[in-house]
Amino acid sequence: MTTFFQFVVVGISTGSVFAIVGMSLVLVYRATGIVNFAQGVFAVLAGLLTYSFVQHMPLALAAMLATLATALVATLVAVVAVGFRGRTTHLASLIITVGIAIFAEAVLLAAFGEVPRSYPAISDRAWEVGGVLIQPQYAVLALVALAAAFLLTLFLRRTIVGQALVASADSPRAAELIGLNLRSIAVIAFAVAGALTAVGGVLLAPTVPVSYSSGLTITINGFAAAVFGGLVSIRLALLGGYALGVLQQLVVGYVDSQYSLIIALLVMLVLIGWRSRGELAV
Amino acid sequence: MTLLALEDVVIRYGQAVAVDGVSLAVGSGERVALIGPNGAGKTSVLNAACGVIRPAAGRVEIDGRVLTGATPAAVVRRGISQVPEGRHVFATLPVEANLLLGAYGRVFRLEIVSSTLRYLRSKRDVREQLERVYELLPKLRELRERPAGRTSGGEQQMVAIGRALMARPRLLAIDELSLGLAPLLVQSLAEFLVRLNEEEGVAILLVDQSAALAFSLCERAYVLETGRIVLDGASRDLEGRSEVRSAYLGGGPEDPA
Repeated sequence: MTTFFQFVVVGISTGSVFAIVGMSLVLVYRATGIVNFAQGVFAVLAGLLTYSFVQHMPLALAAMLATLATALVATLVAVVAVGFRGRTTHLASLIITVGIAIFAEAVLLAAFGEVPRSYPAISDRAWEVGGVLIQPQYAVLALVALAAAFLLTLFLRRTIVGQALVASADSPRAAELIGLNLRSIAVIAFAVAGALTAVGGVLLAPTVPVSYSSGLTITINGFAAAVFGGLVSIRLALLGGYALGVLQQLVVGYVDSQYSLIIALLVMLVLIGWRSRGELAV
Repeated sequence: MTLLALEDVVIRYGQAVAVDGVSLAVGSGERVALIGPNGAGKTSVLNAACGVIRPAAGRVEIDGRVLTGATPAAVVRRGISQVPEGRHVFATLPVEANLLLGAYGRVFRLEIVSSTLRYLRSKRDVREQLERVYELLPKLRELRERPAGRTSGGEQQMVAIGRALMARPRLLAIDELSLGLAPLLVQSLAEFLVRLNEEEGVAILLVDQSAALAFSLCERAYVLETGRIVLDGASRDLEGRSEVRSAYLGGGPEDPA
């Protein structure tokens, strides 16, 4: 039983990263109608940048700089994906993000090499609760995901900028008619989502080393989490992330580690098939 | 004084000419209608006026300044707000958020941080305007918390009008007020628009397929057919003309209705 709970604890921590990426995907989708297949790349970029920066400065500063830099890159991705006049169709934008994800792998390989990178966690101690080891890093990850869900929901529901993001997805035509600039809206959505995913990547790297090619796996897992909420619900993306993480750890622990990505894909397919029969949950 | 003027506006979609040299003018405080059959190019004319589409030729002027090819945002800032066909409310947002976004849109520029600061600084004005819109359309106050997508068609039309009014327009351009709404509801919306025009001095440009509605609501009207203005004049003159009666009012010249 202790082993089971240990898997659950680890699952919730990796699931938190899925949740964070999933919520980022939801944010971008709700604001722009685009599924950003390059989202996972932001986590990898932030992790690898933190690894590089931390050689020269304290971890906290390195993490902050990496997050900021990643948000900037996300802004650029937004401009490319949405187009300079904001007239690119959603399907074209989606394909552009796939292209960016592939291109980014090549750039990351050239810039950081192929070795998976890691750096020290926040603390190397661990709490023991009834035989289950809980690393502070795990707790931080879970809490960050929870806080992000809370803040994002508040942002989208209660702030005028968040409401403008939602409005642009509800009716791009009306949003434009009242004077909103769809490209600015897309940029802010990508930037906020990029920063959030970057935080996830920075926190992930100490527990699971990241390399240039980790992006796709992270995107798929995040997407599976987002699909729990039909790509529109922040809350369900959070729960989806936790659930997927735990499920994967159990399969990895009791069956075989090579099935972990297949689980994500399977969950995703089943959910999409199931959801496309009914209406979308909000 | 002329608020909005279109001169020889030509609109093409690819090879097809949708609007072929249309000129029209709306003075401040006026109520003007643009009527015509489906596919005549009414919405295209309205969209050219609102900066949604760029005319292939011709001029759009607001207050005598040339604004051809300006963005919708620039047109909103100059005091013209559109209520789009099919209403297009922000369905998942509460009614009040729909309204507030109308005010946010007016101060929105390319850069989001300064736009938002500008909006927050004008928060008192925004609140005042919101109060005003609630006074004009009391139904919206009752519905303020409800997602706009879960209101009736008529209520959505009110949300779309209220949202446009939040930008404090001098001219309200309405595309198909009556589409899909019950006649009684259309009547009360029309009465509201007349009141808005007379009490607040907001000019109205109404695009509608219903000539009866257009004539009863507006002082002047233009008749658009296959991209050209074929008739224009005072509503009561147009109303009496046999070709208008037979084509748009569903009766011959003798028909008293």
